[in-house]
Amino acid sequence: MFFRPNMHVEEFEAAALPHLEDLYRTARLLAHDPSEAEDLVQEVYLEAWKSYHRFEPGTNCRAWLFKIMFHRLHHFRRRWIKAERIQPFESQQQDNIMADPEVPEEIRDGDILQALERVPIEFREIVMLADVEEFAYKEIAATLRIPLGTVMSRLSRGRKLLRQQLAAVARSYGIGQEQPRQRQGESA
Amino acid sequence: MNVMRFDTQQCERIRRQLDAYLSNELLVETTSDVLRHLEGCEACSRELESRTKLRDALRKAAPSQLPPERLRQTIHQNLRKTQPGFWAKLETRNWVLAVAMVTVVLCAAVLGQRWYHLQQRRRLVANILSLGVSDHLHCAIQGHHYPDVANPPEQLRKKLGPEYAGLLGVVQQKLPDFQVLEAHICSVPGSPRKYIHFITRGRGTILSVILTKRGGVSLPGGRLLLAGVSGGVPLYHARLSGMEVVGFQYKDYLGFAVSDLGRNEMLQVAEGLAPALETGLSAGSESEDLGITIFRPRALQWRESSGA
Repeated sequence: MFFRPNMHVEEFEAAALPHLEDLYRTARLLAHDPSEAEDLVQEVYLEAWKSYHRFEPGTNCRAWLFKIMFHRLHHFRRRWIKAERIQPFESQQQDNIMADPEVPEEIRDGDILQALERVPIEFREIVMLADVEEFAYKEIAATLRIPLGTVMSRLSRGRKLLRQQLAAVARSYGIGQEQPRQRQGESA
Repeated sequence: MNVMRFDTQQCERIRRQLDAYLSNELLVETTSDVLRHLEGCEACSRELESRTKLRDALRKAAPSQLPPERLRQTIHQNLRKTQPGFWAKLETRNWVLAVAMVTVVLCAAVLGQRWYHLQQRRRLVANILSLGVSDHLHCAIQGHHYPDVANPPEQLRKKLGPEYAGLLGVVQQKLPDFQVLEAHICSVPGSPRKYIHFITRGRGTILSVILTKRGGVSLPGGRLLLAGVSGGVPLYHARLSGMEVVGFQYKDYLGFAVSDLGRNEMLQVAEGLAPALETGLSAGSESEDLGITIFRPRALQWRESSGA
């Protein structure tokens, strides 16, 4: 009577393990290296199993697991996350100078992942949740425990930063270096 | 596409909504506005195309981060090593029930303990009141050591001695319906305790008023144990051996009123007697040795000697 029936690990695995790839993918893009991402995902599953009695069957298990992951991630942020932050003033300048740079014609997987790594974590996590994991704004707000308006503004800024970083990566390969001159020439 | 001219402000407004449009988070009406604008604005369409391309590229690149197979195995093993604890298995709603049950059990335990202590103290009161009842039964009822016609007061005062002679008047005054037949100092076989015993008759029965030194005996305190309070003197009641007894306690003495009258009648009697006897006792000087001959009923003396 007092105990939740069928607290079997098989039931938990059936509900939670299908989301392993999604969790690992996000963890991999937010943590320093693969081993840290693996540790994080392991911790998420152990914590989820321990608190599985609180999970209501029929609700979104994937969103629940992501919520646990980001809770842990934020808890250990200093240890886990690459804290490469762009200074507000500097980023403002870059926004003005590099407003809406062209997206390269050919985008290699490595380039865009490299560009994503350069985006500050608070914007990167929202871009990941919205554009890769395809969570709705409300789900993201619940997962990260931030207001809906913050989700919208950070996503907009995150996408812009990603675009700028991708352009920077492309320029480092010598792609698109002529564009600013052309534009100057046009305006002149 | 019909290319139309839009002002810069309109394009800026639409571009601010492109992120939400891309995430399919716009309201239907707003989506229609954006679509209408995009149909006629080549620049904004190119911008949307760029943003879509970037998102699709990211979506395509991210799945390359596949978990190693050993991670799945490690998680599988770890889950089997770790079982949810006892408390985790409890249903949340049952926590409330469990806490309520524990509270009820604790309350029952506390109340039970209090009831047990109360019963213990009641037994102690009954044991102390039985001192008065035993003297009344042995001396007055079974021994019948009182005359049919009351002894003269002078003789009774002499029997009581100078310390307690004054109490005779108190008893006579406070029990107007009763006649004091006998007053003496007596004891009960097997006990060194001495009793100042007034045997009275009235209302068709015999009533004893008895005083004895406390000798370390103390009636326990507690509102629930009291039958009443008169003039600041707490009164205790019990029914023992077919007799109603009301007891009261002074600084150095215990007092009893014992008879087979009803409870309320006895309490009325005791209410009048208890404060008056206390005053009477404090008027006389106490002495360890009463200095007079102890009255010992013949029947009891015989029992003592035959027992020996």
